[in-house]
Amino acid sequence: MNTVWNDSTPIYRQLRDRVVAMILDGVIKQGDPLPSVRQVAGDFQINPITVSKAYQELVDENLVEKRRGLGMYVSDGARDALLKSERERFLHEEWPTLYARLGRLGLSLEQLIEAAKPGERQ
Amino acid sequence: MSTKAINPIVRARNLSKQFGATKALDAVNFEIEAGRIVGLIGPNGAGKTTALKAILGLTDFEGELSVLGFDPRTQRTQLMEQVCFIADVAVLPRWIRVSEAVEFVAGVHPRFSREKCNAFLAHTKIAPGMRVRELSKGMIVQLHLALVMAIDAKLLVLDEPTLGLDILYRKSFYESLLSDYFDEDKTIIVTTHQVEEVEHILTDLMFIRDGKIVLDATMDQVGERYAEVMVNPDKADAARALRPLNERQIFGKSIFLFDGADRTQLAQLGELHKPSIADLFVATMKGTYA
Repeated sequence: MNTVWNDSTPIYRQLRDRVVAMILDGVIKQGDPLPSVRQVAGDFQINPITVSKAYQELVDENLVEKRRGLGMYVSDGARDALLKSERERFLHEEWPTLYARLGRLGLSLEQLIEAAKPGERQ
Repeated sequence: MSTKAINPIVRARNLSKQFGATKALDAVNFEIEAGRIVGLIGPNGAGKTTALKAILGLTDFEGELSVLGFDPRTQRTQLMEQVCFIADVAVLPRWIRVSEAVEFVAGVHPRFSREKCNAFLAHTKIAPGMRVRELSKGMIVQLHLALVMAIDAKLLVLDEPTLGLDILYRKSFYESLLSDYFDEDKTIIVTTHQVEEVEHILTDLMFIRDGKIVLDATMDQVGERYAEVMVNPDKADAARALRPLNERQIFGKSIFLFDGADRTQLAQLGELHKPSIADLFVATMKGTYA
């Protein structure tokens, strides 16, 4: 039942991350409506307040806009803004740790690119 | 609840009920606000059903109890216009036809919508001409839910609503409730032993034990107050020194449950998790049947 959620992050946060991933992957595009709070609450069997909280986060980040009486819509430029912030986050949070680890393992750039080529993995 | 509402849906003050020498409810105090989904969770015989019966005006009690501003003992008729109830025992007569049940409720309840009820039934395999005795247990609950969801009530009380249902019916029960019924003007009180299935649905949690409320908090407060830490054996004694509520072993590690402990201190011992309601329940009710 709880396979979809992990218990170390609040669910509203995980729901927000899911919507973000869907925007990044182009599953929901700019100007597309988000499913209603009721719909999401029913589908995931979570309380509507949790869903509203996740949506509010997205509104606060300007990724989603509330259209009165209509619901939530993905803002124009949401994907670009996300790409920018996600790239920033990768470079400042994930990359330094990863870079340090690559150094410890003595992996060169060539080796990494080689390993990432499709069909050539051992 | 720690934040006191001005007009709570339910307010109990020193609510007590005695059966012979047994105190089913022992001077209980609580408040329930509008727009909440409250889980009343407790072991068998803890007083859950007695509390619900008192709220519904189905039993006498001592102390004060106000439901939607009414006294359930003396203003039951007014109260029943605003309150709906699904019990763990089937109350629909076995001989009645589905269409007759719909007509009956339409006749007695001023806030019932026949259209809503039929629209809901249209999504099920229940046909208007069927008699209740021809329906499976899951279908009876669906019919009951259809009748209740078509009533524009402020308070819905569910006593073990999914008891004995298979997973498909249980899932669709809560799905319908959340997507077709619940909104911020409505309030739901639910008792269940199937805590995992309501875990994320609840906004508030109440534990009841031996007629007393032993936990009354919003789910957010629960998340802030309680933490589970998975600790390696070398740090287990350090964890025990912080007076955990509970300790259990798994794969050579110890899982400690803490109430109100300092998170930065806990994080040094191991990985922090939010405890499930089930784990919290087991820890809180330790020794209940001993």
